[in-house]
Amino acid sequence: MKAWKIAAAAALTAGAAQAHYGMIIPSDPMLAQEDGRSVALQVSFSHPFELLGMPLARPAVFGVVANGEPQDLLDALQPATIMEHEGFTLDYAIAAPGTYVFHMEPQPYWEPAEDAFIIHYTKAYVSAFGEDEGWDAELGLKTEIVPMAKPFAQWAGNVFQGVVKLDGEPVPHAEVEVEFYNEDGAAVAPDELMITQTVKADANGVFTYAAPHAGWWGFAALNTADYTIAHEGEDKAVELGAVIWVRFEDWARR
Amino acid sequence: MIRAALIALALLTGPALAHRLNVFAWIDGGEVVVEAKFASGARPRVGMVRVYDGADALIRTMGVDENGSARFPLEGAGQGLRIEVDAGDGHEDYWILTPDDIARQTGG
Repeated sequence: MKAWKIAAAAALTAGAAQAHYGMIIPSDPMLAQEDGRSVALQVSFSHPFELLGMPLARPAVFGVVANGEPQDLLDALQPATIMEHEGFTLDYAIAAPGTYVFHMEPQPYWEPAEDAFIIHYTKAYVSAFGEDEGWDAELGLKTEIVPMAKPFAQWAGNVFQGVVKLDGEPVPHAEVEVEFYNEDGAAVAPDELMITQTVKADANGVFTYAAPHAGWWGFAALNTADYTIAHEGEDKAVELGAVIWVRFEDWARR
Repeated sequence: MIRAALIALALLTGPALAHRLNVFAWIDGGEVVVEAKFASGARPRVGMVRVYDGADALIRTMGVDENGSARFPLEGAGQGLRIEVDAGDGHEDYWILTPDDIARQTGG
């Protein structure tokens, strides 16, 4: 009985940090001309609610797409410590209005606990200088959440919808994990089931979620790759995550 | 009566928000290029451009062309410029070219 309790406690502790998220967090999702001419990005691989970091190696791909133009930013990433682990920062100068879609393909991350590799294709958006065209563009990533509502300029409480895609095709009934970036550590989960919520997409791969609180929310649609990666001579499964970060704002009054 | 007036006001101001005008300006070959665009992506075909210097004195007015654009020589911009485009019916926006913007874009 005692052993069972200890085992259960261990499982609860371990279970509390199960949802991994590729993270790209911009300093400002809606850059006004009065705010300056650049955004700062924090790039990491973390458990965003519990603020537990994991090491993020220099990604395989890091770039931005704005006004239909892709730009490679891999060499511009500056090593930084985020949540006590290796991550990156980037100060990105913005010269013209537009929707800037930052995206990352990390190197495969070996997760012994899951006996699998994890690759989270991650996106975050910045609308600059009043221009929001291009927020619904599909980048054509291996796996991707294509937003059906702007991933910025949302009130807390608004419903957010997106289509989960894998190899360009919608994924019917895909599972999407949802987690709040508990930036100031103030949010408390009444139960570990509240740390990561899960919703399922419909038959067209469309999922729906209403954010209860202002801040950054991460949506991760997880699928198993149709290929494996060798680890110490054994073929291991690869979890492909399509991650999108969406910013919800407080309802404001005069 | 007040309610009717409020609704009328809401109707009047509503379209201006739904077709928000966005103004941007940059420097190209010693000239300032102004571009005005509705949120839909459409360009205003008529509109008045007002250029203010760093002391907020009106230094130039001109119309936009059929693409919602205008160009004028980069003059009197030592303390920056505020470029306002008024496309009528409350569709109005501005862009500020700061001294930093001008230095960066003219290679200074």
